[in-house]
Amino acid sequence: MEMFAQILSSGIAVGMIYAVIAFGFQLTFATSGTLNFGQGEALMLGALVGLTCVDTFGMNYWVMIPVVCLFGMLQGGFVELIGVRPAIKIKSEFGWIMSTIALGIIFKNVAENIWGRDALPFPSPLPMEPMSFLGANILPMEILVVVGALVMMLLVEFFNRKTIYGKAVVATANDRDAAGLMGINTSMVITFSYALSSLTAAFAGVLIAPLTLTGATMGGALGLKAFAVAIIGGLSSGMGIIVGGLILGIVETATGFYVSTGYKDVPGLILLLLVLAYKPSGLFGKSAIKKV
Amino acid sequence: MNIRRHIFAVATAAMLSTGAYAADIKVGVIGPYTGGSSSMGVSMRDGVRLAAKEINAAGGINGNKIVLVERDDEAKNERGVQIAQELINNEKVAAALGYINTGVALASQRFFQDAKIPVINNVATGTLITHQFPNAAENYVFRTSAADEIQAPMIAKEAVEKRGLKKVAILADSTNYGQLGREDLEKALKKYGVTPVATEKFNIGDVDMTSQLLKAKNAGAEVILTYAIGPELAQIANGMAKLGWKKPMIGSWTLSMASFIDTAGKNGNGATMPETFIQQPATTPKRKAFVDAYLKDFKPKNGVIASPVSAAQGYDSVYLLAAAIKQAGNTDGPKILAALENLSAPVDGVVMTYNKPFSKTDHEAITANDVVMGVVENGRVEFLNAEDATKGAKKK
Repeated sequence: MEMFAQILSSGIAVGMIYAVIAFGFQLTFATSGTLNFGQGEALMLGALVGLTCVDTFGMNYWVMIPVVCLFGMLQGGFVELIGVRPAIKIKSEFGWIMSTIALGIIFKNVAENIWGRDALPFPSPLPMEPMSFLGANILPMEILVVVGALVMMLLVEFFNRKTIYGKAVVATANDRDAAGLMGINTSMVITFSYALSSLTAAFAGVLIAPLTLTGATMGGALGLKAFAVAIIGGLSSGMGIIVGGLILGIVETATGFYVSTGYKDVPGLILLLLVLAYKPSGLFGKSAIKKV
Repeated sequence: MNIRRHIFAVATAAMLSTGAYAADIKVGVIGPYTGGSSSMGVSMRDGVRLAAKEINAAGGINGNKIVLVERDDEAKNERGVQIAQELINNEKVAAALGYINTGVALASQRFFQDAKIPVINNVATGTLITHQFPNAAENYVFRTSAADEIQAPMIAKEAVEKRGLKKVAILADSTNYGQLGREDLEKALKKYGVTPVATEKFNIGDVDMTSQLLKAKNAGAEVILTYAIGPELAQIANGMAKLGWKKPMIGSWTLSMASFIDTAGKNGNGATMPETFIQQPATTPKRKAFVDAYLKDFKPKNGVIASPVSAAQGYDSVYLLAAAIKQAGNTDGPKILAALENLSAPVDGVVMTYNKPFSKTDHEAITANDVVMGVVENGRVEFLNAEDATKGAKKK
């Protein structure tokens, strides 16, 4: 029982990390039908900028968070302007895939040159002493990751549903052409959704950095896992993202314990293949009918 | 036509005239200067630079200067292979020093073997490295680090014989280094009749060790034996602290890497590993001079060499190579090889004084007697047994 509680809590912490990155995929997909494949790199940049703020400028962890969020917005907007907008303008189906991947690689290279390729420790804002909960040991930082991720997702949902700007986002997501005819500046909304998605990634970066190590290569594996989560949960469902993240996190940790640590990554990816084969819109996604 | 012939003649004359003067001896230096094992690679390179600078300042080798050709293999096998070919075919190096990662060494050194150019591995420890070409008439691969077949029995001895911990768990990464080391460890444990209660693995970059540690805990392990590198070792130490399950960590010498000690912080205290060189206290004048010169030239963070073992072994490898080239009077690979296998004068290094370190059949400079146990104490490595402090000063 104790073991199970421990596996569950670790799995939830890892799963929420995936979910919060996957949430960013969902934001841009809703408005423009495109994804930022450099989402992992946005997370990495956020974490490294945060590290510089805390280490070099001696900023407090909590003060640093808004700075990093602002940086994330600028970075996301940049990606949209350089990589995605031209592809949307010429109605290219796939241009944005290559350009967001390319930008991700460029960001990684830049980060390697600025911060080096070493994995760096990130100072923790909370004590690193574990707390006991139902027989499982949990770090305060892990709780912060889960709570922080949920709060951020709720804030974005609240923004989308209750504010006029958010309604513009939702309108664009539902029918971009109609929204445009109603006077909504849809390309502005799409840029904004990219800024918001990189903001969530950068925030996720500083949230998880004290638990993992920070470094130029940290985005790659996490971005890929988050993408799997987005597919499993469904790109159109916020709820699905969270559930998908938790499923993958728990399955991974449980496989490591009950099967073999050598096969930790396998079941999650098999689940991804099954979802793609039998429910391509994701476990919670609405199937979209594309008329041609 | 005429002009071209003139230019050719002038060029030939220029080449001949420089040839009459002292020639540079090009030596390849290969290691990861970036990435997860860079603390070892950069320390090795700096140790090599220091020795080359000293030798050149003292007049070089028979009047010829050492020129280092440094290449970053990024701990990637394919980069190592490219670099080996480049150093052999374009740079035409006389010898190569380096290799931090066992996998890269095994993938790359065959090119030097085929080109009959000696390689001195100064950090990589995989047992197979010096026996990779058992059927070759001549073996061009040498080593100045403590092979895993030396380290693994020391780890097993420390855990089972000295501390009486019979329930051991092995945690090794999935690289060549981790898995070959795990095999050596299992072999060494077998001598005591011990079978590990858990053998777990993980990938480079893994951030959560909960499953691995829970398995070890569930199996009732009393000690964690490790074969991995700094960042993941730190995740193990931090993971144990999180689970509130404190067991001793004993493992290969990589537990002395800065990336382990810095990242694990107080959770790393007590980690025990075999070492060929410990920075402090400097026990011989030679070691003190080496540490002082290193700190002065490279100014490492907090006055602590990121990987003292790599720096010392790198430094010694240059002196051994220089002695061999001096004795051979030539930079031909086979002649250097013959000289290395039969060094007539002792070579004064920082790890020890090398007295005929290599022979035709033995390409390992370090024997089990030259290695001591180190322990992590508050951010630095100390001698586990105080009496070891004077060891290594004696001759082989």
